[in-house]
Amino acid sequence: MLKKILSYIFIIIGLFFLWASTSRNAMQYISQKRDNNEWWGSYQCLKGDLVSMAYLDIVKRFNPLPENENANRAAYNVPKSTILYLHGDSYSRHLSDSDFAGVRKYIPIDRNHGINYHLDTANKNILLIEISERYFRLYFSGLQILDEVCDSVIKKKTIAWSQDNEYPAITEASILPKIGVSDLFNKYINQNLQCNLFNYNFMMPLFESKAALNYYVFNRASGDVVISNDHNYLFLKETVTKTGINSSFSPLQDDEINKLVHNLNTAYDHYKSTGFKEVYLSIIPNSATILQPAGYNNLIPLLQSNPGLKIKIIDIYTVFKKTYESVYLPGDTHWNNKGRQLWLKTVNEKLLQL
Amino acid sequence: MTFISLQFIVFFMVVTLLFFRLGNQKGRIWLLLIASCYFYMSFIQEYILILGGTIVIDYFAGIQIEKSEGSSRRFWLILSIIANIGTLAVFKYYNFFIGNIHTGLQFLGKPISLPLLKMALPLGLSFHTFQALSYTIEVYRRKQTAERNFVVYALYVMFYPQLVAGPIERPQNILPQLKVFRQYDWNNVKDGLARMLWGFFKKAVIADRLAMVVDRTFQHYPESSSVALAIGAVFYSFQIYCDFSGYSDIALGAAKVMNIQLMENFNQPYLSRGLSEFWTRWHISLSSWFRDYLYIPLGGNRHGETRRKLNILIVFLLSGLWHGANWTFIIWGLLHGLFVLLLTFSIKKGKESQTGFASLLQVLFNFMLVTLLWIFFRAENTGIAWDYIKTIFSFRGGSNYIAINSAEFIFSLAAIGTMLWREYYLPTHFIRNNKWFYIYVTFMVVACYYLGVFAENQFIYFQF
Repeated sequence: MLKKILSYIFIIIGLFFLWASTSRNAMQYISQKRDNNEWWGSYQCLKGDLVSMAYLDIVKRFNPLPENENANRAAYNVPKSTILYLHGDSYSRHLSDSDFAGVRKYIPIDRNHGINYHLDTANKNILLIEISERYFRLYFSGLQILDEVCDSVIKKKTIAWSQDNEYPAITEASILPKIGVSDLFNKYINQNLQCNLFNYNFMMPLFESKAALNYYVFNRASGDVVISNDHNYLFLKETVTKTGINSSFSPLQDDEINKLVHNLNTAYDHYKSTGFKEVYLSIIPNSATILQPAGYNNLIPLLQSNPGLKIKIIDIYTVFKKTYESVYLPGDTHWNNKGRQLWLKTVNEKLLQL
Repeated sequence: MTFISLQFIVFFMVVTLLFFRLGNQKGRIWLLLIASCYFYMSFIQEYILILGGTIVIDYFAGIQIEKSEGSSRRFWLILSIIANIGTLAVFKYYNFFIGNIHTGLQFLGKPISLPLLKMALPLGLSFHTFQALSYTIEVYRRKQTAERNFVVYALYVMFYPQLVAGPIERPQNILPQLKVFRQYDWNNVKDGLARMLWGFFKKAVIADRLAMVVDRTFQHYPESSSVALAIGAVFYSFQIYCDFSGYSDIALGAAKVMNIQLMENFNQPYLSRGLSEFWTRWHISLSSWFRDYLYIPLGGNRHGETRRKLNILIVFLLSGLWHGANWTFIIWGLLHGLFVLLLTFSIKKGKESQTGFASLLQVLFNFMLVTLLWIFFRAENTGIAWDYIKTIFSFRGGSNYIAINSAEFIFSLAAIGTMLWREYYLPTHFIRNNKWFYIYVTFMVVACYYLGVFAENQFIYFQF
């Protein structure tokens, strides 16, 4: 009898976890409830996204060095006549009007969300597309992402919520009615199950002990993170493999470069025709591109030097290559304050030329 | 849903517990069929329609074959074969065929552009196609009665433990088991779970660890040293064994928990003294399929020596092609066929003088030969395979980096040794005592967790 009861309990628990891990709304609800809970909360490490992914908080080597966020910050006393639309990603978050020279209004466009207004043609409208190298080939192999941005800017279109977007707040009452058939085959189910079954603060010693074993005995990081050859940085694995569109080291054919240039030109012409005075592109190199360049596929220099490219380039690749100081955080995919200030300086030099 | 995933573990727990809670076989069959559909659709949902289509055709073909006589009987068999092989040809071989036509005509200076199929290969297509074919052929041969219950027949093809990578079952083994209500048996559950854990260990701890070395050496072969490439090749032999036999262990274990016995697919193949023996120990369900449904119908060894050799070459050629639409697989299969013919002759001649030491040398020689041939199987194209093999025998210097440090290299060797030792001395699950079983389970779970390389690597044979 006890076995029977136990088996029903396990069936119910199993079905619950399968359901909770396939339903986007249920996952959102659970994560809302777990936020900031010391015991049940999900693991979040402030030492860097890669440190967090690899559970390497225990290894102090990849901790960020202390930085003054205002260090190297330049001030520009020029007339403010530009409206800057910045279509960017996590590299360009947390910026403001005062970071840019001559910018009256700075409008960030989150790649995932789109925006809901139109150009003010009385002003000088500039579009800056900032994109991480690891996403560049993915986004610009087609024009869909540009169409979305363009539509959202020009046609006042709000982009529908998609699977990868952040979700609106979920209440208990709204969970069940919103489960669709597609939820049954959620491609993120394993990550969600890991989150629901194991990713709790109180479970961290288990993950950290495995990460420490891998690091100290096998000298490598776990999962999707790899250690740089000089052992001072962590890299996202997908940026250093020999295959994969996100990698700095996967082969690049002339045909692909030509297609990327063609798509960029199409986008450039489109934006220009809709009222932008100028359109800039700034590709932020993967950290491995700068720090471990042997075997680099030269995506950025090949694109930037292509004579057929119309879009204006803000070249941070060359700036980073010439910089002897570190511009990346050791345990994070992003740049440090030095890198960010160098990028802002390069962007502002362009803006001042307008 | 790969076997090495949390989704599978939870799915397996729910399905198995529900299976034992259901009090009649009809309910269990429906449960397993629905679960198998969910399992298959978790990869690409639309492809269930292709699988469903061939199941419907084979189900009716089986009944018609049984009812008919003479040419009508033959017609239904041919229809079934065309449906199955046709599906395989379209999804697996069409692009390869067209690609070769393009290359050939371009070579002749008459380039044309024929349309290519832009679809991924349905998962496990070669496996369930062959399993379905074995059913209609066996019905045609009157060795199996046609299955009237559609749900039972659909489950015969779709039974989730062996749906995407075998073993390629025979109807005589599976169909009767699906019809009998089986009581819960704790000993079977223990055996099944222990075997599944052993499969997880082989996949996560050994195969996926060796994959790091193999991927590195095959990606960087131009600058790697001969030693590094030789290590990569040897490690690939063990990677593919642990990967595929690990999958089979999980499949057999999962079925065993439900008191269903699938056929064995491996029997310590690297202990074979020759290639012929190797093929009686490696992927047994496939090699026996080719023997029963191709080699013997072609005449086997009944029409003289020349015909026998030709039959062997045909079988190995098609076996290579079965694995994939690429010249690497075709050459791999043909080379196996050629060496089977050559070495069978030499073994026959030297049979009288075999000693224990001579047997050991034969095992080592055979392992090295199999390892060299695996290079064709692993390489992206035949050019890379030849270069890889030539570099091994050039004994050149170069980069010795193999993606893992010396501690992990030694651990990998120890893990391979442990696996070989365990399978040689303890080929079946051996713990009957509950206390020791729980200790074993705990130990294996901890070992898999701490020593496993969870890089979400797909099973190698899923692509076939």
